[in-house]
Amino acid sequence: MNLLARFRSWLRWMGNGKKLESEMETEMRFHIESYAAELVRKGMSQQEAMRAARIEFGGTESHKDAMRAAVGIRWWGELGSDLRHGWRLFYKNPAFSAVAVLTLALGVGANTAIFSIVNAVLLRSLPYPDPDRLVRIFFNEPGVGLRDVRFSKPELDDLLTRAGVFEDVTPIFEGSEDVTGAKQPERVEGVNGSFSYFSMLGATPQIGRLFGPQDFVPGFAAEAVISDGLWRRAYGADPNVVGRTLRLDNDPLTIIGVLPRGFRHPGPTISGDVEVFGAGGFSGDPFPKPIRGNRVLGAAIGRLKPGLTLEQAQARLTAMAAQLRRDFPTDYPPRAQWTIEIQSLQETLVGKVRPMLLVLLGAVILIVFIVSLNIANLLLARASGRQQEMAVRLALGASRGRLVRQMLTESILLSLIGGAAGIATAVGTLGFILRFVPSNVPRLNEVRIYWVVLGFALLISILTGLVFGLAPALHSAKVALSSAIREGGRGSGYSIKTGRLRDVLIVSELAFAVILMVGAGLLLRTLRDLLQESPGFNPTQLVTANIQLPNPNEPKEDPYHDIPRRAAFDRELLRRMKAIPGVELAAITSALPTTNTNPNAVGGVANEGFAIEDRSVESSQDLRAERIRISSDYFKVLQTTLIRGRSFTEGDEDGKPLVAVIDESTAHKYWPTQDPLGRRVRFARDPTKPWTTIVGIVRDIKSDGLDIDGVPHIYVSTYQDSTKRLSVVLRTSLPANLLEPQIRHEIQGIDPGLPVFNVSSMNDVLDRSLASRRFSADLVGGFAGLAVLLASIGIYGLLAYMVGQRSREIGIRMALGARRDDILRMFLRKGGVLAGVGIVAGLVFSAFTASMMASLLYGVRPHDRLVFLAVPLLLFAVAVLASYFPARRATKVDPMFALREV
Amino acid sequence: MSKQLDLLQGTLDMLILKAVSLGPLHGYGVLLRIQQISGEQLEIQQGSLYPALYRLEHQGWITSEWGESENNRKAKFYRLTAAGRRQLHAETEKWNRMASLIANVLRTTPEEI
Repeated sequence: MNLLARFRSWLRWMGNGKKLESEMETEMRFHIESYAAELVRKGMSQQEAMRAARIEFGGTESHKDAMRAAVGIRWWGELGSDLRHGWRLFYKNPAFSAVAVLTLALGVGANTAIFSIVNAVLLRSLPYPDPDRLVRIFFNEPGVGLRDVRFSKPELDDLLTRAGVFEDVTPIFEGSEDVTGAKQPERVEGVNGSFSYFSMLGATPQIGRLFGPQDFVPGFAAEAVISDGLWRRAYGADPNVVGRTLRLDNDPLTIIGVLPRGFRHPGPTISGDVEVFGAGGFSGDPFPKPIRGNRVLGAAIGRLKPGLTLEQAQARLTAMAAQLRRDFPTDYPPRAQWTIEIQSLQETLVGKVRPMLLVLLGAVILIVFIVSLNIANLLLARASGRQQEMAVRLALGASRGRLVRQMLTESILLSLIGGAAGIATAVGTLGFILRFVPSNVPRLNEVRIYWVVLGFALLISILTGLVFGLAPALHSAKVALSSAIREGGRGSGYSIKTGRLRDVLIVSELAFAVILMVGAGLLLRTLRDLLQESPGFNPTQLVTANIQLPNPNEPKEDPYHDIPRRAAFDRELLRRMKAIPGVELAAITSALPTTNTNPNAVGGVANEGFAIEDRSVESSQDLRAERIRISSDYFKVLQTTLIRGRSFTEGDEDGKPLVAVIDESTAHKYWPTQDPLGRRVRFARDPTKPWTTIVGIVRDIKSDGLDIDGVPHIYVSTYQDSTKRLSVVLRTSLPANLLEPQIRHEIQGIDPGLPVFNVSSMNDVLDRSLASRRFSADLVGGFAGLAVLLASIGIYGLLAYMVGQRSREIGIRMALGARRDDILRMFLRKGGVLAGVGIVAGLVFSAFTASMMASLLYGVRPHDRLVFLAVPLLLFAVAVLASYFPARRATKVDPMFALREV
Repeated sequence: MSKQLDLLQGTLDMLILKAVSLGPLHGYGVLLRIQQISGEQLEIQQGSLYPALYRLEHQGWITSEWGESENNRKAKFYRLTAAGRRQLHAETEKWNRMASLIANVLRTTPEEI
């Protein structure tokens, strides 16, 4: 109640300063005049009475000040005068102000940009209604160490009807598809879901309609919904696009609707946003018979019923999975411990990039701290020069708290100006910055400067203002009155107190720099290790291109329907590739190294089950490997070592005995004690299929990413077993861009409807797979470099200042016989001690921060000895160098001049 | 003059509340009333009355209104609020307890220990 009354009164006067002033005047005048009148009655003359009354009343100005303070608005007026004073100082010191504002603008700008990305990607809810209820559903077999395995139609139905936790579930088929019929055959990202996909995500069409239950067919629907992007690009934003036919992988699909511009498919894509949306029933042709064992569906998302928490839903699904395992023991062997897991869709989408983004955010926050410590040092130097001003103010009755407030107002004014410049920079350059962010970071299209981003930038600005303002402010308040006034206008010499404060600032700055450098060191070492690590082949002088044979839902439309026809295409393709001048060798693979990052997408190479001859069904349940289809020269083109046995030949074709080559991981994992050569395996564990004989063992090739080891692979001959997703690999000394037109020409010479995409050198392919690691390593490395620069400027500035302040002392020392070497050593020692303390403190903190980065590292332990040794040495060397220049200047002091100067 | 007592720290607020509890007063009136009821024994720095009045009003214990003085001049009159009455009551109680406590302490003779 009391607080409310005070607030009401404060508000009343706050809004009406003029009225307050006049009321105070009137009231006091009335008092004085009334009192004077009484004195007159007691016999004084009018003039004398007024004088006496005024004296008795006391100074009206100070009373007024006390009254303003009483209603809580005095600070307002003071703030105004502090701001004016600060602005004048700012204006009078253009060099200092420019440096401070510029570095602040950099710091705050970088923070704003990174935070706007963090905010859009990690913090904001997904742009669908009730996003908290959207989940990604995983089928796992923890008993055999597998997560996210494929599932079957009956299992999907269980989720819908038996689990009782989902309002809706849709399987998701992600993949890229060929769009033909437009100018140039084009490769676009597509998604096939169920007919309720759009209603589950709450989407509404821009034109036409979206899928609904009325469209239901057991196989794939003959309709499609397209994105705003494709509509504009391929159809020129034609308002009558509904009803037109789109050829997707040769299937004619009727366009029924166009999505609004903002709609995005909530899942990983291979090369961009999803542009074509199909739907299907997943139970009829081309899908296999809907029985439990036919696990062909790749991924599923669902919407939980309202009011259910994730934990409750998970508990029910776990119970249901256990029941299913009991009900169908042959479909769910006990060893696999098949189970169902749900995760919030947001987490699934962004979980992978969270550590990277948080590390970047941490790095920019460190940078802004270093920047503010540097400014604090500058301000402290200035504060020493302003000691007299402060002393005079104190002598005239200002309280020390008042002085602190004034200094803080000045520094926050400075930080707000710098912050505003930083925000402006960030807003202006955000689009440019986003171009460098690797495209595997999801939701980048949602990055904007939202209010919360501005709030964050403001907070950072004010915080830095406080950080760099507090030290000089407290310092000013501690000014000893008498000595400061006596010393007069000249700087007060290097006092012990200021000295210690500045030392602390420098030490913290160095410590922060160490943290950044260790982080950068670890990330860069990870990157270097990955680049130097043998990918299992020789990536130089290789050019690759991707082709996707159409995958129509109608078999009659498919010219590549069976293996012999695809083999014929492969042979013709290889013949034409080898004929290109400059190409020495050519091969085909279904999975280029390092590109299999989304194994469950259509065209991805999934972990599939297989059986080994002579092993019990029971024990072969956990046998899984990625099956890669290659042509005979693949290992020769890649220059991968064949360890034992043989590779494929042109004769390993349809109708001949099936053969396979395995990699070392497979051999170690499944035949640890036996010789795998001559053993026989069978994919899909389908007893009706013939056995495949292992004929060779090769080195591991990193198919799933340079940072993923130990995934077992089984290679089969593309003439015996092929898919429609294929890449050609050419060994050639020509660059990719020179070959691209010829590759395209030759492939479209076979089939003009085939799009050729991603023609690039193998080194570029590897590079792309490291894009996000490179991005974060480069950025943190850049920040670390900046930190080192700022820290060395800090040390340099401190010592240079000390030398200036102590020139008289140096003169005396020299006059008394100190040698120049002694002087040099004195200052170098100072710099060295500061650097040493800062570095040790930084290393202690880094021990913590480095462990937090563990998930971003590969091949390097968080407490890597090399990094923890190199960083201190490097920083120490830089610090000593930065101390050397001012120290040398100290030795040039002329004793006579220094002595005479005072 | 030398007979007058300086005001104890923090008692001015209480005296003002008491003064206006007897009826609305302007600032000068508050001064006169306090002097009157104290038998001219208390020394009050006249000007310091006003910050105190503003502070009390800010707390919501008194409220003010412009009106006309006895000699027909514009003056600001202060009146006790309900909250102010409670506050005065509480302060009075506290003061009385404190005063009797201190008095007791000071009366203590060596035999009583």
